[in-house]
Amino acid sequence: MKVQVQNLRKEFGRTVAVDDISFGFDSGNIFGFVGPNGAGKTTTMRIISTIDEPTAGDVLLNGVSVCEEPELARRTVGYVPDTLPAHPDITVHEYLDFFARAYGLRGRKRTQAVEAIEEFTSVTGIREKLLKALSKGMKQRVSLGRALVYDPDVLVLDEPAAGLDPRARVELRELLLLLAGRHKAILISSHILTELTEICNGVVIIERGKILETGTIDEVLKKNVSRRTVAIRLLEGNSHQNPQLLKELLQTPFVENAREVTNEIHFDLTGDESAACDILGALIAKKFKIIEFRQTKANLEDIFMSVTKGGVQ
Amino acid sequence: MTAVLSRMRSHFAHWREWELNPIVIKELRQGVRSWTVTGMLLLFLVVLFIASLGFLITESLSVNASVELGGRMFTTFVVILAGASVFFIPLYTGVRVASERQANGLDLLYVSTLSPARIILGKFLCSAYIVLLFFSACMPFMAFTSLLRGVDMPTVLFILAFLFLIVCAANLVAIFLACLPASRPFKVLFAIAGFFLSFWIILPIGFSFFIMRSGIGSMMSDPNFWIRVFLTALLAVGIGGLFFVLSVALISPPSANRAWPVRLYLTACWLLGGGLALGWCVRTGQSDGMGVWTYSTFALLVPALLVTISNSDQFSFRVRRKIPGSRLKRWGAFLCFNGAAGGLCWLVLLALATGAIAFRAMARLPGGALDDDDWRKLITLALYVFAYSLTALFLHRTFFPQRPAKLAGLLAVLLVAGWALLPPAILFFINELSWKTVDSLQLGNIFNVEFNRDSGHVVYHEYFAAGWLLLAVALNLKWFLRQLQNFHPPAAAEPAPPAERPA
Repeated sequence: MKVQVQNLRKEFGRTVAVDDISFGFDSGNIFGFVGPNGAGKTTTMRIISTIDEPTAGDVLLNGVSVCEEPELARRTVGYVPDTLPAHPDITVHEYLDFFARAYGLRGRKRTQAVEAIEEFTSVTGIREKLLKALSKGMKQRVSLGRALVYDPDVLVLDEPAAGLDPRARVELRELLLLLAGRHKAILISSHILTELTEICNGVVIIERGKILETGTIDEVLKKNVSRRTVAIRLLEGNSHQNPQLLKELLQTPFVENAREVTNEIHFDLTGDESAACDILGALIAKKFKIIEFRQTKANLEDIFMSVTKGGVQ
Repeated sequence: MTAVLSRMRSHFAHWREWELNPIVIKELRQGVRSWTVTGMLLLFLVVLFIASLGFLITESLSVNASVELGGRMFTTFVVILAGASVFFIPLYTGVRVASERQANGLDLLYVSTLSPARIILGKFLCSAYIVLLFFSACMPFMAFTSLLRGVDMPTVLFILAFLFLIVCAANLVAIFLACLPASRPFKVLFAIAGFFLSFWIILPIGFSFFIMRSGIGSMMSDPNFWIRVFLTALLAVGIGGLFFVLSVALISPPSANRAWPVRLYLTACWLLGGGLALGWCVRTGQSDGMGVWTYSTFALLVPALLVTISNSDQFSFRVRRKIPGSRLKRWGAFLCFNGAAGGLCWLVLLALATGAIAFRAMARLPGGALDDDDWRKLITLALYVFAYSLTALFLHRTFFPQRPAKLAGLLAVLLVAGWALLPPAILFFINELSWKTVDSLQLGNIFNVEFNRDSGHVVYHEYFAAGWLLLAVALNLKWFLRQLQNFHPPAAAEPAPPAERPA
């Protein structure tokens, strides 16, 4: 399954919610979709899920256009909103059974599909509980189960981890990895970027309806980390050397923005790794008792903060 | 055609796999589990039990056996049943739909294979099942009354069928109100209005009292009775159907061709109504039927016009893809697709056709449903309604092009109300307001056509309205021609115009 978002544009009156964006992802991949609030994430996801129609552009789900053939396209996509809509007086099993019926599953096939999904999302134990009595994490599992009940190839999750406790987040993460292992193409939006870094193969960063960055996590990280940050820690009891070390570093080539951060000295290295090696050698030669000299890795959060400006339409 | 036939054949061949509408199953499961339904049902049974007990105790105290006891008890049960089903079930259904719509639960249904029509049908069928549940709970008590004297079985069945039809129509109205894209305070206002409208229950109750007295057996031999029954049932089904298609249109995605089912349905109703009216005229030799049809068409024309001018001019991809390529078919589609221009054409055609048919029929037949004055008033009102609507359309386009299209409808109402209220308000403040000034000639005031002390003034209204309409047509002509030109299937890679925010 290949999902291709092509020059997608969505306008609401004068507001351009999504402005000519293009990206793609394949089955077996989890693609992160990040951006500030009001960036156009939900609008894009709703278009991919055939709920809304684009003003221009298209989304192809394995070649099937969501504009041309929405009825066909929606059979291949499962949409999980950020909150489970209120359905009073209905149990988990009845809810999943209802959606299985709504998607046209019949008889034994439906029963098997619902049971399999209950097992997969670990809601078998609570299948007779009312929806309104569930915790947020359990509701999110049910919501995921609802989207999976007819076995779609593409899964679109809009902020599924919002409001979940750490355990529920870990469980959700494991479920998503399992689904990716089952060759589902997954697009997930979240504000918890550290988690996305752990599970996503690729990422799209969007702001004011425009794509700022897209590609695999490694590509995006490499592209945006033009300078490395190096942290130096002196042997315990030698912190009095810190001002001297700072002074020394400021006179060293390829070093910028040297500063003291909680008993450590951090600086931006503008040179390559051999420059770092030279700096370390020079500092040791000058009798600084260095116990740690490490490059700090930039993560998605750093990239996000550096490329976005927090603007909304 | 062959594809449709083979699909139907396959559908009936797999009858073992037929299943109920999923919405019905879900709603019934929810209804059965809900304390609201079970609580109301229990309360209903308690009231029925107490009522029967009251009757039997009071009857046991009287010396002579009453020959009307069964009839009196049955009438009381009908009142209780009608009260419970006309007030409670539509309210329950409406609240359920409204809360689901509020929580965007319908969004998730859009991603499924359920069509908006199946969703509304499911909601309606569920409410009908709940009505049946209440009716069947009442059935043992009613069966008991038939053992007593004063009521016969055909009357019982007829009244129950009649009441069932009324409650189903009320349920469809409740679903429609719940589907309206209004905020919560507006919905509460609608609910209150709906509550007061529910008092039309007095009508069927009064009718059942009447039938109870005379007994249905004596009326059954009269063909006119069956014609009236048929027409009443047809009217209830027609109104219910209208609210059904309106609800479907309201919950359809903004990119859908919402106008199509509504306009087709209204045109079909108009044709059917016209046919029946003509048939009635031919049968009775009187033109009264045509009068009813003309007034009904005009009554529908006003809200239809308001809704039509509130339509957006923009067509979504999905709608544009369905525009036929052939010129002839495109003309037909223009009348029935989304968009104010096509809608206006459709309404003008309906109005002209109604006027022409009714006028010819009335000229040939006696009865005088509408005399010359009535015709003049009707034509003047129609001219005013179109003039106000086109003016509102022009104002919206010129001064508020960025505001949603529904503002045009609101502007039309405000213009009518403003022009009717402003002169009396000014007169009031300069202390000149009197009955004489109120019913004197006020050109442009739509209400003044009827409430005018000199019926001869209508002709001035007529000329004024015609002039105004001509001006409004001239102001909108360029826009209309542009709409007509733009009505074609999309060329390859042509971008769709901006959408309105979904309701």
